[in-house]
Amino acid sequence: MDVDAVVFGTGLSESVTAAALSKAGFSIAHIDANTYYGGDDTSLTLDELVQWADQRASAPRDNQSTYISAQRKKYTSISRSSELVPQSRQYSLSLAPTIIPSIGPLIDSLVASGVSRYGGFKLMERLGMFDRPGVVRSVPSSKEDVFKSKELSLVDKRRLMRFLVFAAGEFESATELKGKENVPFFNFLRDVFSLDERTARSVAYGLAFCVSAQDPTLSALQRLRRYSKSVGRYGPSAFLVGHYGGIGEVAQGFCRTSAVSGGTYVLGRRLLSVSSLKSEDNSPSGRKYVIELEDFPDQLACDLIISSPDYISTELFAHASAVMTSTPSLLGTPSEPYPVARCIAIIDRPIRFCAEASATRAAANADAPSGEQVLPEKIATGEVDTAFLVFSPSSVPSGSTTAAVHMLVTGEGSMSAPSGKWIVYISRPLLGDDEYSSSAEELMRPYLDATLSLTTSASDVAGASPAQPLFTLFYIQQLPPSPASTDATSTTLVTPPATSLISELADAATEQAEKIFWRAAELLNASRKSEDAKKVEVESFWPPLDVIEDEPNLEEW
Amino acid sequence: MTDAASGAAERSVQVKLVLLGEAAVGKSSVVLRFVSDEFQANKEPTIGAAFLTQKCRLEDRVLRYEIWDTAGQERFHSLAPMYYRNAQAAVVVYDVTKATSLEKAKTWVKELQRQANPNIVIALVGNKVDLVQPSQPSSDSVAVDAEDEADDATATPGENAGSTSGEAESLRQVPREEAEAYAQEAGLLFFETSAKTGEGIVEVFTEIAKKIPIDQILASTRGNAGRGGAAGGRAGAGQEGGVNLQENTNKARDACSC
Repeated sequence: MDVDAVVFGTGLSESVTAAALSKAGFSIAHIDANTYYGGDDTSLTLDELVQWADQRASAPRDNQSTYISAQRKKYTSISRSSELVPQSRQYSLSLAPTIIPSIGPLIDSLVASGVSRYGGFKLMERLGMFDRPGVVRSVPSSKEDVFKSKELSLVDKRRLMRFLVFAAGEFESATELKGKENVPFFNFLRDVFSLDERTARSVAYGLAFCVSAQDPTLSALQRLRRYSKSVGRYGPSAFLVGHYGGIGEVAQGFCRTSAVSGGTYVLGRRLLSVSSLKSEDNSPSGRKYVIELEDFPDQLACDLIISSPDYISTELFAHASAVMTSTPSLLGTPSEPYPVARCIAIIDRPIRFCAEASATRAAANADAPSGEQVLPEKIATGEVDTAFLVFSPSSVPSGSTTAAVHMLVTGEGSMSAPSGKWIVYISRPLLGDDEYSSSAEELMRPYLDATLSLTTSASDVAGASPAQPLFTLFYIQQLPPSPASTDATSTTLVTPPATSLISELADAATEQAEKIFWRAAELLNASRKSEDAKKVEVESFWPPLDVIEDEPNLEEW
Repeated sequence: MTDAASGAAERSVQVKLVLLGEAAVGKSSVVLRFVSDEFQANKEPTIGAAFLTQKCRLEDRVLRYEIWDTAGQERFHSLAPMYYRNAQAAVVVYDVTKATSLEKAKTWVKELQRQANPNIVIALVGNKVDLVQPSQPSSDSVAVDAEDEADDATATPGENAGSTSGEAESLRQVPREEAEAYAQEAGLLFFETSAKTGEGIVEVFTEIAKKIPIDQILASTRGNAGRGGAAGGRAGAGQEGGVNLQENTNKARDACSC
């Protein structure tokens, strides 16, 4: 088989790239060593997740593939509960829990490519900050919230309001920011806007999703502005959560689009060899690489390789070039990726976002921000189906004193769990070396317990114990090695993760895909030297959707 | 065939239908025959790269099929779970002149029973019966001119469509009785069709339509759509808390289509 490019790995970034290249008219083959789509971004059924974990936790075998070796280095300290949970297939568990801002590159690409028709999304119901066991604080994000807040003094309200107006504007040229772009955001809030400690924490961790007090000001402000602009596009929340496990499903949609445009899909095949051919070798196809897959009838010849780092063997790594999102236009300065300790748990009682442990039902009701689409009985109890919780540093005993930890819960409403079950994802950034001596379970247990404390409320009978998880998985996701080279002429392009931040993952992957797409188009056209090989005209990341693809709605006729 | 009639009072329901079957059995042409025939009198079919859509009238109801082709992703066992997700119907196609294609169809049926919605309506379709019939004009009411359309874009190379009546029946490798018995046993609808002549094609889709639990789907889309609810594949429209990403971006176009 002879194609322009071979893409290894079906993570979001590679899948978006594959779809864009196919739509532009390049021929591609898209390979994944796994039998499922999505790579490190995948969503799995519970049985598949257990298998995934066991494969990476088991003792190394001789002759294991480059991919599995890389995966074993990437996913460490894996431990899981052993009890079986029924209805495995009704769960879609994500390896890359993600919340997607309503305005940003991924949503743009979903709409422009037509992939949006394949997937569903749910608006985030609630966003809060962990206060103490059983209690969640809401984050005042809009002027209305600030105005209505009972926690803030009048002076604090005025200061916060002033900051929010500043942060919504063109602050890049503002005098307040000048020379302070890289000071810790926390200090900036305190020193320039005189926010008190508690309010500054709300803004830095609960609105800008800083992961530590050291996060620089400019990038935090850029995130905050983007998120606040996202409010109202699809509803009162800035964020969407994908149905059926999130970006793993989105990646499948891009792969299908690529296939519809002629892309060839091969899953569950081990990569045996990649040979780089020199022009004097005079290969029959004239292509630069020949690739062999296990149990595949044909060799794959191509001019360009695009790959997630896990597929690149040591010798090819030397020639590979990383395509970095170092200067993105829209996302601002990306936060550097970091290793993450993760916990995935399944619970059978809902989490409640209750403002005060002593709150009566009526008070809890009044506290729910206006306009949220929560059923009345859910407001009363604070029950959430799809919600996001921030643990600021030092908010949990024996938790991290430096890093903010994120918890995403998804339930039936996001099509990821059967009725009456919820999936809890907790991500803890590992920012310092001191944490490496602890296991993932030790790192995550305090946060899981704190999350479970939210399944009880004061209105429960006294002494009600928190929910016990039906299933738990703990692991650490390390960073993959990245090629040092960013040589623009290399024809092996590698896609290292651009960020680890839960609210930036999807957009960063999409931006990376766009960069790879343009680089790939340029390289492929440059390699079409002979007269019969016509260059592919590329005018945009996504060609305009065919008008005929738009389907009128029957109800409207 | 007066589909432009008052749609407002009509109860319509969207049904996701997936196609499965070995390469070159005529999956795409079965659908193209269905979609283009049914629509020619009224309106150009909506042919998108992503999926085909076609309405099917059933008494006082209108079903709107959203027909998903495999896009070749079945070739190396790389069909995504998304493909089966929320499918309310499946058409599993085999070629009556190729015994192995029925075996492949059986494995797809198993795969559907494993992966898909448990209430999915599955039709087993033996295509290319024109190859095993004496060459005579079909008397079938839905038949159309044979030269109207190529047999299949992905037709098996070297197949002999112009066989004479003497050889015709000998080309058949899958006896109707055998396939029908299997379909009955597995609880599938069964048809023999010719995408080339149009024989049996419309029946496949109308019989499926009769078995689709329309009232349930309507109830679940209008009310709280739980998992496995209708309107599969669409951007969550009509589902509780679901978001349609096209909202706020395509206002102008939506206004025009009214």
